[in-house]
Amino acid sequence: MRHCEGDATRMGDNAIPLVVRDLHKSFNNVSVLEGLSLEAHEGDVISLIGASGSGKSTFLRCMNLLEIPNAGEIAVHGETVNFRTRRGKREPADWKQVERIRARLAMVFQGFNLWAHMTLIGNVIEAPIHVLGKSKKEAREQGMALLERVGLAERAEYFPAQLSGGQQQRGAIARALAMDPEVMLFDEPTSALDPELVGDVLKVMRGLADEGRTMVVVTHEMDFARDVSSQVIYLHQGRVEEAGHPENVFGNPNSDRLRQFLGPRF
Amino acid sequence: MIDFQGYGWRLLDGALLTAELAALSLVLALVLGLVVASIKLSRSYALRGLALVYTTVIRGVPDLVMMMLLFYGGQIGVNMVVDQINAWAGTEIFIYVNAFAAGVITLGVIYGAYMSETFRGAFLAVDAGQMEAARAYGMSGWLAFRRVRFPLMMRHALPGINNNWMVLLKSTALVSIIGLSDMVRIADQATKATHEPFLFMVPVGLGYLAITGVSELAVGWLRRRYDTGFEGAA
Amino acid sequence: MEQWLAHVAPFLSNNDIFTPATLAVYWDGLVNTVQLVFISLAIGIVLAVPLSIGRMATWWISTPIWIYTYVFRGTPLLIQLYIAYYGFAFVPGVQESWFAFFINNPLYPALLSFALNTGAYTTEIFYGAIRATPRGELEAARAYGMSSFTAYRRVVLPSALRRALPAYGNEVIFMLHASAIASTVTITDLTGAAYYVYARFYSPFPAFIFVACVYMVLSFVIQGGFRLAEKRLLRHLQPA
Repeated sequence: MRHCEGDATRMGDNAIPLVVRDLHKSFNNVSVLEGLSLEAHEGDVISLIGASGSGKSTFLRCMNLLEIPNAGEIAVHGETVNFRTRRGKREPADWKQVERIRARLAMVFQGFNLWAHMTLIGNVIEAPIHVLGKSKKEAREQGMALLERVGLAERAEYFPAQLSGGQQQRGAIARALAMDPEVMLFDEPTSALDPELVGDVLKVMRGLADEGRTMVVVTHEMDFARDVSSQVIYLHQGRVEEAGHPENVFGNPNSDRLRQFLGPRF
Repeated sequence: MIDFQGYGWRLLDGALLTAELAALSLVLALVLGLVVASIKLSRSYALRGLALVYTTVIRGVPDLVMMMLLFYGGQIGVNMVVDQINAWAGTEIFIYVNAFAAGVITLGVIYGAYMSETFRGAFLAVDAGQMEAARAYGMSGWLAFRRVRFPLMMRHALPGINNNWMVLLKSTALVSIIGLSDMVRIADQATKATHEPFLFMVPVGLGYLAITGVSELAVGWLRRRYDTGFEGAA
Repeated sequence: MEQWLAHVAPFLSNNDIFTPATLAVYWDGLVNTVQLVFISLAIGIVLAVPLSIGRMATWWISTPIWIYTYVFRGTPLLIQLYIAYYGFAFVPGVQESWFAFFINNPLYPALLSFALNTGAYTTEIFYGAIRATPRGELEAARAYGMSSFTAYRRVVLPSALRRALPAYGNEVIFMLHASAIASTVTITDLTGAAYYVYARFYSPFPAFIFVACVYMVLSFVIQGGFRLAEKRLLRHLQPA
């Protein structure tokens, strides 16, 4: 797999925020991922695009081990996830390590998945307090600042059910930021939103990219992918069909399938 | 002032016993219900089968028969076991099965089965995404259960728990048949002695209605607590 | 029954718990239980249909009905049975009156209390089902000129009663289980039979386990029956 040439000097392997090598994943003997690799350097915004069923969400979910890959390596800032085989099935050797790693990656879901019984601010401070061990005061201060940032400070005491989809998703992004993550994972963050609300969420995401956050985004929003990413990966049936700088991938696609996928606009 | 012919205080004692019995049985039933529901949702076929047998038998047999079986059978069963131990170890132990304990265990075991069905349905009703987010943020299994799955599940479980509790409460009257001196038994004895059935039975009935009323208030409070975040929507 | 027992007797001669005599007691118990439950349920439904409709009416009709259901659902059946059993027995002069039949056979007080009890629960079940009828169905009936009576008869009740099937199935099972209480007032129902055998032979396990199995079989049969009925009568509510 090619990744971008001509970028700033790479640091040693052990300081790359997220390295995934040769991931394979099958569900019930149906192969969904066939040897996928990815390197997310500091400040990279990697967009994963492809048709439904191409494996992009599964690929993303393997990165924080919501799905366990059948083969392949995952490392976050040099710390490799340890696997073992039990009864013929591959599983993490140390679930505590998995929890630690998940706390360093933050995921934003297509369905927002805000905890319905907690207020917005409650959602934001929940993991910092119970997973990172922050004090309630500290978490609340940071939380309110983050909500301010995504434009939801006045809704802090609202419950998710009382918010629009766009507000919920922005709240979910604030919740993710509260973990001060090393890499942020976005699983089709705008796919479940009404068109008018998509823009607000994308605006927040652009802001994150501008400040140098390392992000991996599964998305159907091609404009976002083209304008904001440092790298685009096009998946087809579990394999990388094409990858590279957005200018190349969108401006001059090599693959016919990709050309067809992008349609007339690109 | 109504003259209870000397049975007044004993009736109150009986009412207290009824309340204690009901409360303790409820606790046991809730604990058993949670455990069995977890078993039914686990991946072990063997355990799931056992749990299924447990709930099927309990729901197919009348409370009274279960109670008689566990109470009369229980004492004899304990005797048999202890006799074996005595024969083998040369001791002379005799364990009395305490009627109150038998009552609590019986009611707890019976209503544990009903509660497990309620809890199982409630767990299944929780949106999977909530737990997914909890795990994605690095929460351990126990933390995620305590902070996310359990509170959300309780919201779905409360109506069922309330219904089962109402039935359990009325079932406590059956312990009078196996000899516990709850208020029904006292009223029964008093009726036979004084030939005044209404004088004693009606207040006992009112007593049950009163306990029901109090518990409705408590359940209302619980409902409000677990419903936070869901008013109007969903 | 006696012939069958006589036929089976030789197979049972090597144990003294399941003798023809005790099996006869169990059989009597089963017959009594089924009769008691069936008749109570029948009376209960007859009561419940008008009462559940009345529950929808103005306050001076619906409130007494509500009180009835509240009291009978909020107090234990055992209390209701005792009141029916003892309540009339001690009235002075009742022994010689025409009412004596009631207090001389415990089956009557049992039937009375069971019927009223199941009547209360069934009223609530039907009431819930009627209230859950989509308003549009009733509106359409009225729009086509049906009187209230006809609308209820042809539209609301058939729809509501079908929807009440699952909940009513549960009620039947509950009634079956509750009927065990009849044994406390000297009725020889299934449970009474078990208690008799236990007391006679001082062996609780065979007696109660056997009866428990019979109850389980009865419960399964009833559940199965209701599932079949639901399949047929509720087909209009199944997903396509």
